[in-house]
Amino acid sequence: MNPIQLFELASRQAEWLSVRQQVVAGNIANASTPKYLAKDITPFSAVLDNTAMVQHMAVTQPGHMASNDISADNIDIEESELNDEIGIQESGNSVAISEELSKTGEIKRQHELNTSLMSSFHRMMLMTVKR
Amino acid sequence: MTDPLSAALKIAGSGLEAQSTRMRIVSENIANARSTGDTPGADPYRRKTITFGSELDKVSGAQVIEVEKLGFDKSDFIEEYDPGNPAADERGVVKMPNVNVLIEMGDMRETNRTYEANLQTIKQTRDMISQTISLLKASQ
Repeated sequence: MNPIQLFELASRQAEWLSVRQQVVAGNIANASTPKYLAKDITPFSAVLDNTAMVQHMAVTQPGHMASNDISADNIDIEESELNDEIGIQESGNSVAISEELSKTGEIKRQHELNTSLMSSFHRMMLMTVKR
Repeated sequence: MTDPLSAALKIAGSGLEAQSTRMRIVSENIANARSTGDTPGADPYRRKTITFGSELDKVSGAQVIEVEKLGFDKSDFIEEYDPGNPAADERGVVKMPNVNVLIEMGDMRETNRTYEANLQTIKQTRDMISQTISLLKASQ
């Protein structure tokens, strides 16, 4: 059975958001670690493009192993670009706490939008089934 | 790899722990800002320093932060002329700890801010988890 496309997209974005939250939490925790460079992950659109291009493995029977295209594997962690205002500190650390905090706020907002959209679409689907 | 959100909670938790150790060191330094030696000419309290490092937690695969090293500030002691002090040497000079209270205060502020930032991460991660859980509750 094909997954319902909208829900698949939403769960993929939720996964991307949680990976990003993990990376940002790492940045904030390492705000005073010497020689630590701030990290970020590839944008969601790039992740989406990448997974769309992946060819599914040919299967001769539906029960065979399916390639799992929803996974954290195709989300890459990279060094985030340098904040010019703060730059690299004396200790070789490049984390800007204010920027990381605004990132977590944005992640939370997007996650909230994601989950509310999911629940409202789910409600709409239930409505069509009920009566 | 485990769930990124619980890994985020773990990372932020390790950040809280590291910052509280840093706060301990700061308070030790401030409390001992005037601790001299016991015998004439003896060395006084030496300022302590703390260094962090990130480490891979093998169970969750997360980069947690840990206290890497507790060290000592090797800078020179401050010399004060105070012949009445029991720790004064034959010239009447007492060695005072190499603690600068202003620097310690600055460090304390920074510790406070970083602790707050980690706490905020925990709050937001927890909210994200409960949003996902409430998806199940809403669809009765």
